[in-house]
Amino acid sequence: MITYTLKRIASGLVLLVAICAAAYALLFVNGSSIARNIVGDQATEAQVAAKEVELGLDQPLPVRFLDWVASALSGDLGRSWFGTITVSDSLTTRLPVTLALIGVAMLFVTIFATTIGTLAAVKRGWIDRAVQVGAVIGDAIPGFVLAVVLATVFAVQLGWFPAVSSIGPGSGIDAWIASLTLPVIAIVLNYVTASAQQIRSAVIQQRDRDFVRTLRSRGLGEGEILLKHVLRAAAPAGLTVLSLQFVGLLGGAVILERIFALPGIGQLAVTSTVSGDIPIVMGVVLYTVVIVVIVNLAVDLINGWLNPKVRVS
Amino acid sequence: MKLVSKRAAAVTASIAAAALLAGCSGGNADNGGGTAGGGTLTLGTIGEPTSWDPAQAHVGHTLQPYQVAYDTLILRTADGDLEPMLATEWSYNDDRTQLTLELRDDVTFSDGAAFNAEAVKANIENLQNNNGRQAAQVAAVESVDPVDDDTVVLNLSAPDPSLEYNLSQAGGLMGSPESLGTEEMISTPVGSGPYVMDTEQSVSGSQFVFTAREDYWNPDLQKFDTVVLKPYEELTARVNALLSKQVDATILDASTAEQADGAGFATLEDYRVDWQGLLLLDREGTQVPALGDVRVRQAINYAIDRDTMLESILRGYGEPTQQVFGPDSGASVDELDSRYDYDPEKAKELLAEAGYADGFDLPISAGPGFETALAALTQQFADVGIRVQVTTLNVQTFLDDLSSGKVPVLYQNLFQGEPWVAINQIISTDAIYNPFDSATPELDELIAAVQTGGDESAENAKAVNEYISENAWFAPVYRIDQVYSYDSEKISVEKQIQQAVPSIYNFAPAS
Repeated sequence: MITYTLKRIASGLVLLVAICAAAYALLFVNGSSIARNIVGDQATEAQVAAKEVELGLDQPLPVRFLDWVASALSGDLGRSWFGTITVSDSLTTRLPVTLALIGVAMLFVTIFATTIGTLAAVKRGWIDRAVQVGAVIGDAIPGFVLAVVLATVFAVQLGWFPAVSSIGPGSGIDAWIASLTLPVIAIVLNYVTASAQQIRSAVIQQRDRDFVRTLRSRGLGEGEILLKHVLRAAAPAGLTVLSLQFVGLLGGAVILERIFALPGIGQLAVTSTVSGDIPIVMGVVLYTVVIVVIVNLAVDLINGWLNPKVRVS
Repeated sequence: MKLVSKRAAAVTASIAAAALLAGCSGGNADNGGGTAGGGTLTLGTIGEPTSWDPAQAHVGHTLQPYQVAYDTLILRTADGDLEPMLATEWSYNDDRTQLTLELRDDVTFSDGAAFNAEAVKANIENLQNNNGRQAAQVAAVESVDPVDDDTVVLNLSAPDPSLEYNLSQAGGLMGSPESLGTEEMISTPVGSGPYVMDTEQSVSGSQFVFTAREDYWNPDLQKFDTVVLKPYEELTARVNALLSKQVDATILDASTAEQADGAGFATLEDYRVDWQGLLLLDREGTQVPALGDVRVRQAINYAIDRDTMLESILRGYGEPTQQVFGPDSGASVDELDSRYDYDPEKAKELLAEAGYADGFDLPISAGPGFETALAALTQQFADVGIRVQVTTLNVQTFLDDLSSGKVPVLYQNLFQGEPWVAINQIISTDAIYNPFDSATPELDELIAAVQTGGDESAENAKAVNEYISENAWFAPVYRIDQVYSYDSEKISVEKQIQQAVPSIYNFAPAS
């Protein structure tokens, strides 16, 4: 298990370096023309040139990347090119918002999807059909439409929740709950049926397998078989789809963050990408990749723990 | 990470109670603003200052946040008059190369430092040296001479008719000399302005909270106890924040105006700041030969059905215009607004005269967001034989593409401000929106008259306006309404001429 874990961590690090290098190169495709954008349309050529030197845009790309890596290793991710706070300050204040949103939403998706998916697989009948229809609908309705409808009805018209985030510095847990409820519901409604569908298939598949028939023939109860054996065997499939959804949400939550004005990293990523604020974008890339690596590692480890065969391969 | 997971867990644990709790907190509409004194003013802003150093201040809606913390040398009133603020009076020498400012002697910055002539010098040099977005506002200032504590002379390299205006904008923001260029200044403004940032309550991306400064020298400008700025990039977020009364006022657009109106919010009327339309940049015909002929440029103007575009695209929130100078600039000429009334037949005639009876190919570039307007123009131009190819420009490289001459025709939304500002932005040979350096001796003379004309500047700018209109340098379509909506039960607001959002001084508690 230790070798397995170390291997997974090593491959995560390789991924991290590769993605950062690729992102850096891609971001600089536009090169020094960003300097003009930063100083604005009133600036003289001399101002543009001075800005290029200030930001190191006159240096070759590999030199700039190595500088960035060296600073990043010492914990310094630089400062926004548009002159605001440091990248790490900016990310540290925003990351909790995004992670709370995705974390809570995925927890509910997991609970509901597992329950509904298992029920559909075992009981079949109307629940099963409802899950299948729901999966199609959940797929078809874009998340932002749900979010806008929820915001209009429950926040603007009924006034039950704040229409835009009320999470501020030092705000209590009630502000967090009030602000996250509608976006979390939007995600859950959008995602739960798709993963329930996956879990349903996995459970059905496992229930048809020989080992289940053997257990039944030994006289074990259906409930015990389901909880102790079938779900355990079906877990990897469920975990995979849930982790994919989690990773997808790191990018996908941005629309919810914008609609509900949640001060998360998605919001930050979009505004800084549009303006060409490379230090911030690289910070977001770095943090996001680290989270993705951690999530994948956790899923791999859980799978390995559930199913020893995985560790060997 | 530890904190995060704890928080996430706590949220999870109590989310079952969400509906109950939220029922209480969601209805808390006025953000705790009491009724005592001036109460709280909460504004929904587009974006936030990238740095609170006044050297990084910008124009329009990005100037407003700085006004909360900083005073300017000159105050610009809602209708555009320039009045004393930190400077009590100012005057030019005869050839308008020296501006002498008399300063208040009773003003201190929030860190205790005194405001004086040295502070003015430090601020203007800070703006010039720090390469800020509005460094151009004080570019004409060659040196700053403090005469004594209360008198300062700005020596200019050439007359600048917009200098007094600039000193009421980013160019005139005064920060504490000690703090300029420091690390703290980036996150916390240190000015002499009506409000002081509450750093405990403020966090970038979420909200900025300011409290009224005690003993502020001009209590008339300080109408609230607390001012809260909440940055919302997304239009949906701004409209929802307003409708649910989480903010008292914010900027919307034509598509959301009726929503705010229907919910009983007031909107400032006829608030026109920007013009939108085509900049026919390649007037020499270097890339699109047809554009070198003035008749072709005029034909383009005649081919635009401005009324229809206004109704269908802006839902009537604006007015058609055929000139690039605004009605408040002093340089607009009423007759010019009917110079090129929609006349496709006339357009075809002019094209035929110019030798383009079969039409020609016209590339138009634009940033994102103008798709509908471009579709309408493409259709209207096709009716007279002009075949449009649209290119969407990348926001990041937009200005660079423009200044390097890659764009022969641009569709753009531009500020309709003071004449000299507009001339330097879109008409003079140094203007970024004149990348092909179009110029004629006649126009140069007219521009020089504006620059040295002193009080006659705006009047002289009319001649520039007539010249570029006759020569069809542009094909303006309309002026756009700034849809600024507010809760009239709580506050009153006055529009600010030639500024994207009202100045902070224009807000007051509802009486």
